[in-house]
Amino acid sequence: MRHLIGIFLMTLLLSANDATIEVVKKADSFASLAIEDATESFETSASRQFFKNIVSDMNVLSLFNVERKHYINNYEDNSASLETRSFDYVLRYRLHKDDSGMIVVNMKFLHNESVMMEKVYKMSKKNLLVFVAHSIAYDINDLMGATPVDWMKKKVVFAKLTSPGRSEIVIADYTLTYQHTIIKGALNVFPQWADKDQRAFYYTALGGDIPTLYKMDLKTGTKIKIATSDGMLVCSDVSDDGRKLLLTMAPSGQPDIYLFDTQTQQKKRLTTYRGIDVNGQFMENNKIAFVSNRLGYPNIFSKKLNGGGVEQMVYYGRSNAACSAHNEYVVYKSRESQNEFERNTFNLHLISTKTDFIRRLTATGVNEYPRFSASGDTILFIKNYQQQSSVGVIRLQENKSFLFPLKIGKLQSIDW
Amino acid sequence: MKNVLMVSAVAALLVLSGCSSKDSSIEPYDNSGVTIQPETGGNANTEELSGEDVVVIEGTDANEMTLSALESRMKSVHFAFDKFSISPEMQDIIDTNSQLVKSDAKNYSVKLEGNCDEWGSDEYNYALGLKRANAVKSSMIRDGIDATRITMVSYGESNPTCTDKTEACWAQNRRVDFKLLP
Repeated sequence: MRHLIGIFLMTLLLSANDATIEVVKKADSFASLAIEDATESFETSASRQFFKNIVSDMNVLSLFNVERKHYINNYEDNSASLETRSFDYVLRYRLHKDDSGMIVVNMKFLHNESVMMEKVYKMSKKNLLVFVAHSIAYDINDLMGATPVDWMKKKVVFAKLTSPGRSEIVIADYTLTYQHTIIKGALNVFPQWADKDQRAFYYTALGGDIPTLYKMDLKTGTKIKIATSDGMLVCSDVSDDGRKLLLTMAPSGQPDIYLFDTQTQQKKRLTTYRGIDVNGQFMENNKIAFVSNRLGYPNIFSKKLNGGGVEQMVYYGRSNAACSAHNEYVVYKSRESQNEFERNTFNLHLISTKTDFIRRLTATGVNEYPRFSASGDTILFIKNYQQQSSVGVIRLQENKSFLFPLKIGKLQSIDW
Repeated sequence: MKNVLMVSAVAALLVLSGCSSKDSSIEPYDNSGVTIQPETGGNANTEELSGEDVVVIEGTDANEMTLSALESRMKSVHFAFDKFSISPEMQDIIDTNSQLVKSDAKNYSVKLEGNCDEWGSDEYNYALGLKRANAVKSSMIRDGIDATRITMVSYGESNPTCTDKTEACWAQNRRVDFKLLP
C-alpha cells in the first residue's frame, strides 16, 4: 500500500512538471496588486504609456490580480495610500530627469505597509522606457520567487512584409511597444539571433542574384556574408553556444538541412530525402527536429546529428509545417481542418518525447512560427487573424496567452 | 539593375544621448546586460538601459525595365494547393517560354521565382515555392535549355500578385515567374 501511495505521489509530481499537461489556475487565487504613479513632472503621453506597460507586464507575470486604475501617490511615502491600502501589494514608480538629462525611474514595491524592494533605473532615451517596465516586472518576479522571466528583458527580431517583395527587419521588445527598424528595402527575411547576448543576427537576403545568408553585427552596423545557395537559404536555428547553425539550403534545387560550423565554415549535409526537409531545430541528446514531407504531407521528424535513421515525432494533424524544439519538448504548427481555407485552420500544439500527451496551445486564427524561450517555459509565435498580424506569448506553466498586435505590415518570421 | 544590392546607408551607431564617462563603459546596444549600481546613500539599485541606432537601408536601382519587354512575353506557371506537379496546360506555357529563351532571349540567363499563397510564412512554404521552380527548371532542361543558364529563388508567400482573401486570388499566387538576367 505504501508503495502504491508512493507511485501515485510520484505520478502527481511528474505531471506537475510536464508542460504538455494543462494546468488551470483560478485568477481569484492571485494576490491583488495596485500600481501607484508618483510622477510629478514628465511628458504626459510617455507617462501614460509607461503606466500601460507596467500594467501589461504585471499581468503577463501571472502572479497578481492587477488593478488597472491609475492611482496617484507621493513617492516618498513608505506606506500605501488610503485607496490602495486594501491591496496585497503596491507597486509605486516615479518618472523624472536628473541633472544630466538622463531619464530616471524610481520604483518601490510595498507589502503590508513596508517596502519590500526599491530600485532606480536610468536610461538616455524615452523610447526605452518600456524596457524599464520589463525590468521592473522581471525584478518583482524574481523577488516573488517565481519561474524566471529572462525572456521579458530580451529583444525580439522580426521580419515584416511591407508590400509584395519588400520587407523590413525590426528589433523590438516582446510587446512591440519599442520598435527599431534595422534593415529597410528589398526582401530580407528569417532573422535569427546569432548568440544569447543578441549582439548580432543572421538573415536571408533575397534581393540579389542568389539567396544569401548574412550576419549583421549590431555593434558595428556591418554585415558579413556567411553562405549562398541557389533556390533558398535559411538559418533555422543557432546552437546554445552560437558555434553551430542549422541551415536549410538547396544548392541543387533540393531543400535539405545542413549543419554549419561558424568557426571552420564547414557544412555537413544532414538530410538527403528527395522531397522537402526544412526547419531544423537543435534538440536534446544531439538530435534535431525538422519538417519533412516524406510521408506525402509536411510533418515533424527527428534524427541524430551524427547519422542514423529518421523518426516520426508527431502522429496528429493533417499538415504540420513548422516546429521549434527545447530539450524534450517540440511545439509545432498544425492544420486541423478538412478544408484548408477555413478560418480556424492552423493551431500550435505541444508534445514531449517523454509522454504521449498533446497539448493544443491556440484556438483561433492562423498561428505559426513558434519559438521557445531560452528557458523553454514560454513560447513566442505569430498570429494572423482577421487582417491583423500579432506577436503572441504563451506561458506554458501559467496556461495563459497574450497578444501584441503589429500596427503596420504582416509578420513573416520572428526570433527571441 | 534589380539584382544589384546596394547598401545605401549605415548610419548613426551606438549613440547614447547624455553619455557621461560612466556610460562609455556600457555596450551601447545591449540593454539586457544591465549595469547595476548602488544608489548613493540608500539600498536601491540603479539599472541603466541603452538602445541601438543602427539603420541599414537596402534597395535596388531602377534599371529593371531593360528586359521587361521580353519578360512580358513569358507567362507564369500556376500550381494546385500544396503541390509542385505541372499540369498539361502549364506544361504548354513552359514549352512556349523555353522557345523564347532559346530564340529572342538566347543571350540571357533565366531566373525562376517560386511563389506560394499566403497560408504560411514558414520555411516549408519557401521550400514549396522552390520545388515549384525546380519542377519548371527540369521541364525547361528537357526542352533543351542549358541548366547553367537557369537560377532559382523562392519568395514563399512574400511576393503575391494578388492580395484579396479569395481562393481565386490565392491560386494566382501559387506560381513560378520567369525573369531574365544579363
